Amino acid sequence: MTTVLLVDDEKLIQRSLEKTLLRAGYDVLTAPDCKVGSEVFSQNAKTVDIAVLDLNMPGFDGVPKNDAGLDLLADLKQKRANLPVVILTAYDEVNKAKDAVSKGATAFFVKGREQGLVELIQKILGS
Amino acid sequence: MNSDPRKLPQVLYIADSDESRSLVRRLLAYRFVVLEAANPLDGLGLASETMPNLILLDNNLSHMTSSEAATRLRKMLPGTPIVVVSGDTKPGARERALAAGAVGFIPKPIGGDFEELVTEYLRGKADGLENAEEYLREYQLELAEKIEDQTRQLTNTVERNKYLLSQNQKMFAMLERRHKLLETAARVGQMVTSILDLNELLRHTVNIICSEFNFYYSGIFLISDDRKWAVLRAGYALAGRKMLDANYKLPIDEKSMIGRSILTQQAQIALDVAGEPSRFKNPYLPDTRSEMALPLIVNSISVGAVTVQSNELNAFNEEDITSLQAMADQIAIAINNANLMKDLESANAELLRTKTYEAIATATGEAIHWVGNKAAPIPGSVRRVREDVQYLLALAAQVKDSELDNASLAAAVQTVREEAQASGLDLEKVLAEMSAMKPNRLQALVSVESLMEDLDIAENSAKTILDIKEGLIGPARQRSDTPVSLREMIAGTVENMGLPHGAVEMTWSEDMPLAHVDARQVEQVFNNLIKNAWEALTNAKIAEPKIFVQGQQDGDSNFVLVSVKDNGPGIPKDIQEKIWVSFFTTKGGSGGTGLGLSAVMQIVNQHGGKIWLESEAGQGATFFVRLPAEKLYLPDENKSR
Repeated sequence: MTTVLLVDDEKLIQRSLEKTLLRAGYDVLTAPDCKVGSEVFSQNAKTVDIAVLDLNMPGFDGVPKNDAGLDLLADLKQKRANLPVVILTAYDEVNKAKDAVSKGATAFFVKGREQGLVELIQKILGS
Repeated sequence: MNSDPRKLPQVLYIADSDESRSLVRRLLAYRFVVLEAANPLDGLGLASETMPNLILLDNNLSHMTSSEAATRLRKMLPGTPIVVVSGDTKPGARERALAAGAVGFIPKPIGGDFEELVTEYLRGKADGLENAEEYLREYQLELAEKIEDQTRQLTNTVERNKYLLSQNQKMFAMLERRHKLLETAARVGQMVTSILDLNELLRHTVNIICSEFNFYYSGIFLISDDRKWAVLRAGYALAGRKMLDANYKLPIDEKSMIGRSILTQQAQIALDVAGEPSRFKNPYLPDTRSEMALPLIVNSISVGAVTVQSNELNAFNEEDITSLQAMADQIAIAINNANLMKDLESANAELLRTKTYEAIATATGEAIHWVGNKAAPIPGSVRRVREDVQYLLALAAQVKDSELDNASLAAAVQTVREEAQASGLDLEKVLAEMSAMKPNRLQALVSVESLMEDLDIAENSAKTILDIKEGLIGPARQRSDTPVSLREMIAGTVENMGLPHGAVEMTWSEDMPLAHVDARQVEQVFNNLIKNAWEALTNAKIAEPKIFVQGQQDGDSNFVLVSVKDNGPGIPKDIQEKIWVSFFTTKGGSGGTGLGLSAVMQIVNQHGGKIWLESEAGQGATFFVRLPAEKLYLPDENKSR
């Protein structure tokens, strides 16, 4: 079974994505910020197959921060260099997301059509 | 020779000259105690104090003649011999001295026999005087003349004093006028800095010139943009008003005093206008007898002129001209300032427009970002609900009529089947898919809980978006201010929020006035503040969360002050400013729109109130809201709303 680590501070978005992923047949672990996200990954390091990280959310100190997702990206990459990571972004932050890709993220996904995320994960993990 | 000085006879010598006194002192010191006085007045005093045995009187004295001094000493000390020591070689000098009351006359220069002569007079020698009566009469005449002379002198002095007094009065009047002028100039100067509106300043200036200087008309002209005309901008009293109404202006040429003063940059003065045939006669001001035009110069360029007119001849003195010109210079400065201000204002307005556009662009961008973000889960939820409904409908379609309680239910199921088919939904196929699924997956898909949750997600997302809309346009909505008891309003708000009993503690001072506000908007304000405080307390997991609401009259009674304080972790200094910015939020997943405090501030500001935060880390946060009290507003002011 494929396990997805989903980190997003927006409760409704997180839950909706979680449900979509669950329906698509994935196991989903969730976290609301960098700190918890990092902990959840460490506790499930062996089972997590892919991480989906929001870009703007509370950082490791719990304070909301732009691009906190990049901090968590670095953290996870340090723990497992080949972990596929998808960065979640709003439509008007695509440049930042592209930047994230240059910093080691596998891909970015613009929030909206959730089924698209499922397809993206399938593509990443299938290859 | 008697060497005990106490027993020596005392001789008083009265002489102005130091040399004479030192000579007499040297000549007499062995046998006399010599007392000295440097003028007859001192001598008279010293004589009455010391009662000397003999008085020597120099003939060349200040203030009075030796004869006068002799007469007065004689009267004062009748038994004391008085001897005149005189360099007067004119005939009759000796006799005059004797007539005045002296017993002796020692001519200068005095020599070795001086001590001898003094001793003789001391022993009682008295020079005889022949024709004493004649000399006495002569002396009396002299005295009478002298008195007359003194009387004349006194009279002259009195006259002179009178003259001085009138001079002083004139000087005083002049000083008073100058003082007034200075005061007036100072007032104009003050106005220059306090009145920014040029028209008002000019109007005030002409009023001051006329009322303080008693001129019957004053007006101020400014040069038109094309520099061809001097346009009247302020005029005194009725004539001024009439001219202003008629858009009174003069061409800038040699024909008018105003024109000449502008062209020459020199004051133009006509002390008698009748003597100036070329003078332009102003029909509005027929009574002008003397007139003055002063140029207004800024940076050596004429910008206009002031006219001052009097219905009297020769109405202007030097002083007036100087101080009026000084005043004109002040006005010129003010005009320059006003022009600079105008330039600044238009530059400022330009900047403000740019800033506003930027702010709108930013806010719009932010709003779109947030709305987009908040809307993101809706399509996903709706998609799942649609799937769920298909599965449930597929199941429903399987229900057999015989299993239903009545015919209408059977009809309903039949409708589902028909309508599904009509809309292209193949329930049979859906059912086939479901049958092929693993049992736990199928269970997950037909979960009513999940269905409800998705509906909640969609509903909450939509609600958040509506909140954003409210936050953005709420404060802009038309206000309707009424007297509001904040005490009742906030109590009601707290009750509706369903917070735990005792979480909010409210204290209200007795003298708290009603607020004059839009009830709906202000309720939003306190709702937001209390909700924020409660969320901060909940997020920080405070053991005994408490919110204190306190209301009172604010200082001068024109405002009501309400504070909302919590015992939470406080708001860090570095974000205290940011909390007021639209879309800034620390609330993450809890659904805040980030518009709360920004909208709150906007509402409070629009009411003419103020909101501010005081918070120390670890000491909780207190929001203060100051709103206008009810009595500030008179019925009149409601019209504008």
